Amino acid sequence: MKNKKNILIEEMSKDLPFGVPENYFNQFALRIEEQIGYKKTIFRKGFRAWMYMAAMFIGILIMGQVFYTVNRNNATKNAENYETYVLSQVDENSLVDMYVDEPAKNK
Amino acid sequence: MNPTEEELVQQLNQPAHRAGAFSGIVRTYQERLYWHIRKMVLSHEDANDVLQNTFMKAWNGLDGFRGESQISTWLYRIATNETLTFLTNKRMRNQSSIDDVEEILLQNLKADNYFNGNEIQLKLQKAILTLPEKQRLVFNMKYFDDITYDQMEAILGTSVGALKASYHFAVKKIEKLLSEED
Repeated sequence: MKNKKNILIEEMSKDLPFGVPENYFNQFALRIEEQIGYKKTIFRKGFRAWMYMAAMFIGILIMGQVFYTVNRNNATKNAENYETYVLSQVDENSLVDMYVDEPAKNK
Repeated sequence: MNPTEEELVQQLNQPAHRAGAFSGIVRTYQERLYWHIRKMVLSHEDANDVLQNTFMKAWNGLDGFRGESQISTWLYRIATNETLTFLTNKRMRNQSSIDDVEEILLQNLKADNYFNGNEIQLKLQKAILTLPEKQRLVFNMKYFDDITYDQMEAILGTSVGALKASYHFAVKKIEKLLSEED
């Protein structure tokens, strides 16, 4: 014989008694993404970030090289300008005297 | 920021953004759909297969989706159809078996590593399994997920009145079964 007791399902716990393997949903999404040919976003984002970093580094190297070359050219130009300036301050006769007389004095 | 439903539909219609948008959809709805399916097929392995078929059907049928219904309604419809097809196929494969499909599902559930219910939860699942498939769907959607009758009407294509009656009779039957002690 069956005993009867009143059970109302609205008073029962609605928790589902089921579980899933660890990390299941993330793995599932990756599997579907693979099937539809969608490359992993994280990889692409990470790769892009590395590309930006590398481009920045190369940019800094090129800028440094350009800056260094310009500076060196300026220094050379400045030295030449100084020599020209000094020479321009001396009149031609004094120069001739210097080049002609100096060797004579040294003898 | 997550894209709105409208933005997602737009992206789905652009070949360059389609896969990315669909990936977002998978990640948004996979859990809800998984539990919707799992409550019907009970075992994790079967739920996994049906969920995969659901998303692949959705992906292959994207051209037919024009955004007339909500994405969630569209996906629920596919998941429901896939689940019912899976159960029909299982029934056909087991035609020669002495046990009916519901008994097989219950046996699978007991053996499932991912079932962690107590005695009363097992008894509830057993009682739910006595319902016809469509009524089982209605009961699960209302009782466990609290989906509104309007949403259920859009998903199952059954009138609100019929859904209410179906749920009412399902509850009565289950309570009667649970109230009877062996």
